[in-house]
Amino acid sequence: MGRSYFVDEAVGEYLSGLQAAPGSCVTGLLAGQSSPQRDFVVLAVQTPHRESEGQLKAPKGVSPLDDIDVEWVTEHAKQVSRMLPGGLCVLGLFLVTPPELSKDAQNGLKRLIFAVEKYIIKGRLWELSEEDVTDRVTLHICSKTKKLLCKTFDVKDPKSSAKPADWKYQTGISSSWPMLTCSVEVDLQIPVTGSSSDNTDKCMKDGLRRWAKQIEAAYCLINGRQALDDSELISGQKKNPKTTNRQTLPARIFVSDEQSELGERSSALVQVCSGSMRVRGVVHCRAYIHNNKPKARHAAQAIKRDIINTVCSRVEMFLEDLCINEGSQKGLCSGQQALPRRVFAPMPISGLSVCDYMFPDESTADVAERLKEMLDCETPEEDIDTSLENNQLFSIISGFEITDSQDDDSSKHVSEIQAENHKIQKPPKYYAVGSGRYSSFMCGPCSSHCSPCHSHISTVFQLMEKAKMFV
Amino acid sequence: MVYSEECDFIFRLKGILEFACQLDNPNGVQSQSTISKSFQDLRSKVTSKNIVFTVCNSPVLIWPNTGFQSSVESLTEASACGDILQWIESDDGGSKKSSKKKDKKKSGPTVVNMKLLFEVTEPAGNTAPSLIRVSTQQHCVKMPLPLDCALSVTTDERLETVCTGLVEALNKQLADMEEVVLQYRKGSSFLVPQPFHFQLPEPAGLITVVYPAGVPDSQLQAVREDLHRKFELPCDRPYLRRANAFHFPDAAYKDGYLRNPHIHLNPPNIEDAKLYLVQGVYSYHHYMQDHVDDNGWGCAYRSLQTICSWFQQQGYVETAVPTHTQIQQALVDVGDKEPRFVGSRQWIGSIEVQAVLNQLLGVTSKIMFVSQGSELATKGRELANHFQTEGTPVMIGGGVLAHTILGVVWSENTGQIRFLILDPHYTGGEDLQTITDKGWCGWKGPEFWDQNAYYNLCLPQRPKTI
Repeated sequence: MGRSYFVDEAVGEYLSGLQAAPGSCVTGLLAGQSSPQRDFVVLAVQTPHRESEGQLKAPKGVSPLDDIDVEWVTEHAKQVSRMLPGGLCVLGLFLVTPPELSKDAQNGLKRLIFAVEKYIIKGRLWELSEEDVTDRVTLHICSKTKKLLCKTFDVKDPKSSAKPADWKYQTGISSSWPMLTCSVEVDLQIPVTGSSSDNTDKCMKDGLRRWAKQIEAAYCLINGRQALDDSELISGQKKNPKTTNRQTLPARIFVSDEQSELGERSSALVQVCSGSMRVRGVVHCRAYIHNNKPKARHAAQAIKRDIINTVCSRVEMFLEDLCINEGSQKGLCSGQQALPRRVFAPMPISGLSVCDYMFPDESTADVAERLKEMLDCETPEEDIDTSLENNQLFSIISGFEITDSQDDDSSKHVSEIQAENHKIQKPPKYYAVGSGRYSSFMCGPCSSHCSPCHSHISTVFQLMEKAKMFV
Repeated sequence: MVYSEECDFIFRLKGILEFACQLDNPNGVQSQSTISKSFQDLRSKVTSKNIVFTVCNSPVLIWPNTGFQSSVESLTEASACGDILQWIESDDGGSKKSSKKKDKKKSGPTVVNMKLLFEVTEPAGNTAPSLIRVSTQQHCVKMPLPLDCALSVTTDERLETVCTGLVEALNKQLADMEEVVLQYRKGSSFLVPQPFHFQLPEPAGLITVVYPAGVPDSQLQAVREDLHRKFELPCDRPYLRRANAFHFPDAAYKDGYLRNPHIHLNPPNIEDAKLYLVQGVYSYHHYMQDHVDDNGWGCAYRSLQTICSWFQQQGYVETAVPTHTQIQQALVDVGDKEPRFVGSRQWIGSIEVQAVLNQLLGVTSKIMFVSQGSELATKGRELANHFQTEGTPVMIGGGVLAHTILGVVWSENTGQIRFLILDPHYTGGEDLQTITDKGWCGWKGPEFWDQNAYYNLCLPQRPKTI
């Protein structure tokens, strides 16, 4: 029994519109949602061009299939997954090849799909449950005949062979998918043992993992109802889903401090630390759930995973950025720095939203740029919603803000400034204190804020221009 | 103040709050105020709008600090707390089978279990996260605080009052925990403060005391003395040792032994007679338990085990109930038996029981000798006095049998007497129905005894200690 993929017609249009240079291949991602019964594809994005330093590489292998930059495809997949809200994920890949390569395409796809899956789950703070679908779709398109060959691989089993699957087009697949939302307060105190940056990363990961377990185990209300069991998410659903507007279902999350690993302790856990890190603020979260009789607990799982992913992603991005900028600087320096904040934009056609993360010194133009590059879609800047998470403002005067964990004064200060800013309605200005970011614009090609940065030479120069405009 | 005999419900709220603080110098002067500040933060957390009580096995969520909101429309601030029962799903095995028994006794208050949760959604602000890094050498202390609050109430008490009461109880418990943590802290070594509930005689009722984990009862004598004074408790018997902790009616005993099977029986209706029963809690020990096949020889050992279980559960000793081997070894140790006694199937009598109680538990016992079984009927006064003052189970041996006497119904005027007997010769499983139906725990008349045999009774005495 093969899987059935219900694909938005817009995706079909996108795929037919792809242009491959004669004799070469086009790779790309397919994104959507899997459910036990069926799968939904709502987005297709071709792999963006990678500008290598200078000349085009001489073709290495015998066939263009060997030239597929696996590393680049996986990196693209990771970037795109960060941009997908809860419930949505990279479901598979497509490959357009000229007719003569069609035979070898399957092998190429298999290699790619396993590599992508492996790379995407690296660093993820939650594990797939038994109920999660582990089949990923590979779609081969012949550039000449436009014929589609759709198969799935079970990425849990490296030895799995391709299974046939159905690829069906429909309009407005996701137009009535309910959207779950919530804003979650995060306040994590993470001790840091040891002094190298590797230690910092590990401690951060461990701390985040503990918090992620709390969220996974948390009690969840969706639209005022318990989301525990197999009950349907929306009871009394209308028969014709297409006529209803997209419902927004607020989610509420309740945690307890219960950590089973601490167990029955009779004394406190004491660690000598070289410092500590605190992640503090509010994250806005979204998840979509298909409307084919979804179960409440799957919806709860989707929004919880989004909560975990969004915090994890921004910390990852921040640390990557830090590593690039501070580089060999060992040890922690003190300070309060803004993590990138989440903004939302409408996805092409489907009406779902995608997200991106904006560093303090970036603007919606940067976001639009990234959306174009990563998702291959034009987004007018005014459609980018930056209002869901407020920017963090720090006092310029105090420079480094060394806040002790117990000190609540700084947050009061921040909220005062915030309140003022709202009243005046100035366009937000972001000041990252002591991050060394400005120095990075001056050196090296790798100084943009989303990795990989190789393709961003032009953007970097633009950012450098803008940087001079800030005080 | 609600008297617990009348109370219909016990609302029990449990939850874990993580205590965390960073100490620059654990031995420094500053550390105490840092610790207190952390506790202060926890108290704020508990009085914030974010705390939520969830009622176990139900869809009910209550926000106690927002002027009482619940997730279920029909439960409002005016609701009586008994209304909550209709929302609670009982376990499938929820046996009300015993209601078939005509003489079933009242099972005591209903326990409503609740869990403490914190809402992380609906935040006050909207500011995106920052990362704050501190790079001073510190001691990071983390400790889970096992909060456990209980309130006894009547059915018509308002749910809102119960919840407010629970929030106050949480606050007080955190303050008690802070005191215990500070008192027993040594540098960066912190002991987890653990709450224990005790059912004290009226008017105190159900109270909670916080003890430091790992510190044995023997070292907490002074704390108990203070509390005995405060609650005007007698100073010669334990009320506040950990073993005395209140056993919630809905909790199963992990060791699987039946507790006080006699409470399911109705005493015989004798004119003009009074009831004198064992006080407190004991476990029913009998043949074949613990994979020991002592059928035919172990009855006195089992009666002794029942008595030991009583002393353990009333808080007099912390040692576990001894095995047959340990009992035999104790007799060898005191010189009463030869070493080859250990591992044998030899019987013991009241004198041996007395010796073992002394050797292993430090408990002294009185021996009562009765030359003929028929004479036992005349010992009403002695037994009544024993159950009134000491209230310990009595081991009786004679003829070829040993039994445990748990109480008497005795008339001072007519001399009529019945004996409440716990029979160690039972070889079945821990089936309360069988044990009570078939009289393995039951009321017997004077004819129960072998009228011609002589009997020795071992009457254990309570040590005078708290």
